[in-house]
Amino acid sequence: MAAPPSGAESGRLGRYLVGAFFLAPALFMLGVWMVYPAVYTIVRSFFGPTGFFGHWVGFHNYKTLFTTSTLTTAIKNNAIWVAVVPAMVTAVGLVFAVLTERIRWAVAFKTAIFLPMAISAFATGVTWRIMYQQDPGLGAVNALGKTISGVFSPAGVLSSAFPSTPTLQTTSSGALVLKTPVMPGGVTKLGLTGIAPDAVPKGAVQAVLPASKPGDVVGVVWRDFKPGGGKAGVVEKGELGLPGVTVELRSAAGKVVQSTKSAANGTFDFTKVSSGTYHAAIGAQTFAKPFGGFAWLGPNLIVPSLLIAYIWIWAGFAMVVIGAGLAAMPRDVLEAARTDGGTEWQVFRRVTVPLLAPVLSVVFVTMIINVLKVFDIVYALAPESEYAKANVIALAMYFTAFQGAGNFGIGSAIAVFLFLLVVPVLALNIRRFKREV
Amino acid sequence: MASAVAVELPAPRDAVAARIVRAIARGPLNIVLAVLGVLWLVPTIGLFITSILPASADASKGWWQIFTKPSLATWGNYHALFHQSGLVQALKTTVYIAVGNTFLVVILGALAGYAFAWLDFPGRDWLFIGVIGLLVVPLQMALIPMFKLYDTFGLFDTWEGIALFHVAFGLPFAIFLLRNFFAGLPKDIMESARIDGANEIVIFLRLILPLGLPAIASLAIFQFLWTWNDLLVALTFGQNTTPITVWIAGQLREFGTSIDIIAPASFISLIVPLCVFLAFQRYFVQGLLAGSVK
Amino acid sequence: MTRTRIVLTLALASALTLAGLAGARTSSHAKAGVNTAVSGTITFDGIWTSSSGQPQFQDVINLFNKTYPNVHVNYKPVGNNLPTVLATAVAGGHPPDMADIAQPGTVAQFAAQGKLKPITYAKSAMAANFAPAWQQLGTYSGKLYALPFKAANKSVVWYSVPTFKTAGVTPPKTFSQLLTDAKTIHASGTPAYSIGGADGWTLTDMFENIYLRTFGAAKYDALSQHKIKWTDPSVTTALKTMAKIIGDTSNIYGGTSGALQYGFNQSVTNAFSSPPKAAMVFEADFVGGVITSSTKAKPNTGFNTFTWPSITPGPDASAVEIAGDLFVTFRDNPAIEAFVKFLATAPAAEAWAKQGGFGTGNKNVPASIYPDAITRATEAPISQAKSVVFDMSDEQPPAFGATTGQGEWGLFQNFLKSPSDVSGIQKQLEAAAAAAYKK
Repeated sequence: MAAPPSGAESGRLGRYLVGAFFLAPALFMLGVWMVYPAVYTIVRSFFGPTGFFGHWVGFHNYKTLFTTSTLTTAIKNNAIWVAVVPAMVTAVGLVFAVLTERIRWAVAFKTAIFLPMAISAFATGVTWRIMYQQDPGLGAVNALGKTISGVFSPAGVLSSAFPSTPTLQTTSSGALVLKTPVMPGGVTKLGLTGIAPDAVPKGAVQAVLPASKPGDVVGVVWRDFKPGGGKAGVVEKGELGLPGVTVELRSAAGKVVQSTKSAANGTFDFTKVSSGTYHAAIGAQTFAKPFGGFAWLGPNLIVPSLLIAYIWIWAGFAMVVIGAGLAAMPRDVLEAARTDGGTEWQVFRRVTVPLLAPVLSVVFVTMIINVLKVFDIVYALAPESEYAKANVIALAMYFTAFQGAGNFGIGSAIAVFLFLLVVPVLALNIRRFKREV
Repeated sequence: MASAVAVELPAPRDAVAARIVRAIARGPLNIVLAVLGVLWLVPTIGLFITSILPASADASKGWWQIFTKPSLATWGNYHALFHQSGLVQALKTTVYIAVGNTFLVVILGALAGYAFAWLDFPGRDWLFIGVIGLLVVPLQMALIPMFKLYDTFGLFDTWEGIALFHVAFGLPFAIFLLRNFFAGLPKDIMESARIDGANEIVIFLRLILPLGLPAIASLAIFQFLWTWNDLLVALTFGQNTTPITVWIAGQLREFGTSIDIIAPASFISLIVPLCVFLAFQRYFVQGLLAGSVK
Repeated sequence: MTRTRIVLTLALASALTLAGLAGARTSSHAKAGVNTAVSGTITFDGIWTSSSGQPQFQDVINLFNKTYPNVHVNYKPVGNNLPTVLATAVAGGHPPDMADIAQPGTVAQFAAQGKLKPITYAKSAMAANFAPAWQQLGTYSGKLYALPFKAANKSVVWYSVPTFKTAGVTPPKTFSQLLTDAKTIHASGTPAYSIGGADGWTLTDMFENIYLRTFGAAKYDALSQHKIKWTDPSVTTALKTMAKIIGDTSNIYGGTSGALQYGFNQSVTNAFSSPPKAAMVFEADFVGGVITSSTKAKPNTGFNTFTWPSITPGPDASAVEIAGDLFVTFRDNPAIEAFVKFLATAPAAEAWAKQGGFGTGNKNVPASIYPDAITRATEAPISQAKSVVFDMSDEQPPAFGATTGQGEWGLFQNFLKSPSDVSGIQKQLEAAAAAAYKK
């Protein structure tokens, strides 16, 4: 608390006037542009859907709000945002602000972290939406995943193929087994479709149905498709064999007896087969699907995806503001602490952070309130089909109030609800203010 | 550069060995920060590469295709933007709005912040909490009441009207930040100034403002930035007044991906706030307070 | 006496002739059509931007200015934020003079609130140029409020020509043939369907085309006006038919999950990228603009169209579903009246139509005005089809038919997630509709 100025004009009136001079312009602007709309919104929430005021409905809007499910997901999501983001952003900003003091290229690093703040929220949302796409060919995040997974579990030769006839069936392990049994001297046909022409393995030529060989099991695995469809299960002209496919000969019990690779025209030959009934099969590894990408924009991951993008943007804000706080710290206090023999970590914890507390609380409280109001990033990043899952209070308010001709009554009620949510936040922080002051 | 000044102050009785250990320890720090920095930049780099790819290439493959096919790169998207009429005018309008409102926010915010930090009057703390509480007022709910007000006072479709709106909405954060910052300044400085007979205004101008420069600089950066990138307020309260965000929105296709417009436009729009950021960096200099108590 | 009569007659004759000549000159000025008496400025908030429609609309305005040089039309390209901006401006008491609204349901709501000025003065111009169904579109409570200036044909399917060639199929005429073709395309190695389910309206469009072609225009209108409930057995049939497409998940590019994440734009670029990732897109004539701006596919060799396949044979088997841009007025003065009347005439529509990317219900616009064969095939049916209905979801109260993530759009997205739950979706649709109509 500042001591009253000594000397002349120390009367109460003098103090009021000085205070007024400093405060009046700001309070005037706040009164007109923020308090008046806030009061209008509160009053408006008791009126009907349309018009500058409309007709009185009392608490009807609030009743609707709490009985329909519009807000439940939104409130839950905002709670997640409040629990995760302010702490992460403040922590990351603090770490960056402190660490950059020790490197020579601090401005370059700070610029890199700050850049996301300088891009408009809409453009950032669009950028991350593209990055999060499921298709690994288009979305950067999944492209990285595909490269990594390709090293560990490479895709099969024919990942999208499926059988052309119902006699070729999929087993639980993903292999395809021909139900029709075959005996030595028999010919077996494994027809596959769903293979795009450019997905056919290189070197393929017209498929050929081989002649039977006594004592061997022969057969052909081919792309059972020609323009117009063709006859399923019949090797026709224009249909290509599939080379390089691992074909297995399985015993009646299902054990793999022999395996071989198909030739350029799709034919394969199991030699010296002892008598008995067998089934031809194609191994599961042929159909191993390539990494399909995580559904970052799907219902399960959409909220974490949004949180990551948001922290990426706002860490720069925290870093710059905390950096300002660091810049203004009195060096003599720090020096004294170091001279007293403290390690860097101790100095940081016992001296730096407490001195930074006012600035840290500004960042933290601002982030809490920003996150309660979050709108732009959800609007731009989440696909419309996931708005319900990713819903936040400000988004619900926007759609209620401005869709079509809008329902401003309920929209205002949502805004009032948002105002009320901040009260506990402020209450929690009041004590901290009192302590500092 | 701030970091050039912030060389670590060695403790007086430091052994050479300890100094060498510290220098080695800085190596991993540089590496870690470098990796983090690059990772942080990836989405932005992606956006930039997208801006130099033609629209048809953007849609079929990811932007990293540029590394295998560098010949695809073209400045065509940027050329197309500059050929649209109104870009330069839009940039000018945005400068008026952004500079105008930032200037006012800094002054009014500093005045109010000082009052809340160092002047004593009844109800001060509750008023301060009320001001912070205003942070929560969402922009969307102020649109309609202000629309009516602006219409009455003829502020509709003026850059001044848009700027004033931003000033008001920027004040709660400004007052919060500056008040907390000023409150942390050493009391003794102001005491001695008062003993010397200075009044509040002199203290404010000669002591508080200079000492508060880091916070004022960061406030200015962000207020400038947020209003530079604002779309909703300008769209609602303008008809012919067109800042850059509205101009960009007026270029987007009704159907079809407009990434070939959004990406280059974002980078053109990015340049000014980035320059502001770099220019204000020099205010983040430590040691302003050293020796000031004397 | 006779000489006096002759002189008088001559004088009269010359007076009359002079008057006639003078009159002819004035009327030839009037015929040349320049009206300098009407003056003023019209503010117009529109959705078309400089990359999609604004230059073409400016050509329409320029043509208008040839007749009315003193009327200045101040067009503001708002883009996709138009509904918000308009709602704010209307509620705040300072709307533009004219605006472009895509949903008749929203027009009805504004008219009910008394915000719109009727355009009764344009009635005769509209009657001369549009079939009665079009005038009905903009009518609320018996008064005419909106002019449907631009229209889109939603009963169009766009397909990738190379994919069809590889599969050896030709554009289907009936729905069962479509399903067979889709199977063949799948077997050829490319998924048949590219669905942009993140934008709910692509799904409602598919449903509406199916319903229209199964049950005809009269029943479609009844459902549209909520005279039939969404729990009606006809809706069950239509939904089950739709499930034959959206339930065929391995035949959709990206599967169900992809269909939910891809928006309309992406569904188009997926189908027409090189190589194409899917074969067909079920959407309106404006797909063409997206293809040309975002892909390298060329007309006829890369892409082409066919009419939405018929389901039930009959007069409505090839009915056309329309969506459009409705022009409304918030004020009334001679300048606005002149502009609206002009917009209802054929030359206004032709000024844009000849550049492509434009469809109209104006029956006096000849099919020959369209610049190429594909455009002609998709746009001409709008004014020339015998049976025309309007986009059902656009006609609903906006809370049901045009709200992101809720109402029809949200519920059909849920249907995409679980196409087997037909009765569940029906109940939810009916509940949402009943709530919206009650208000």
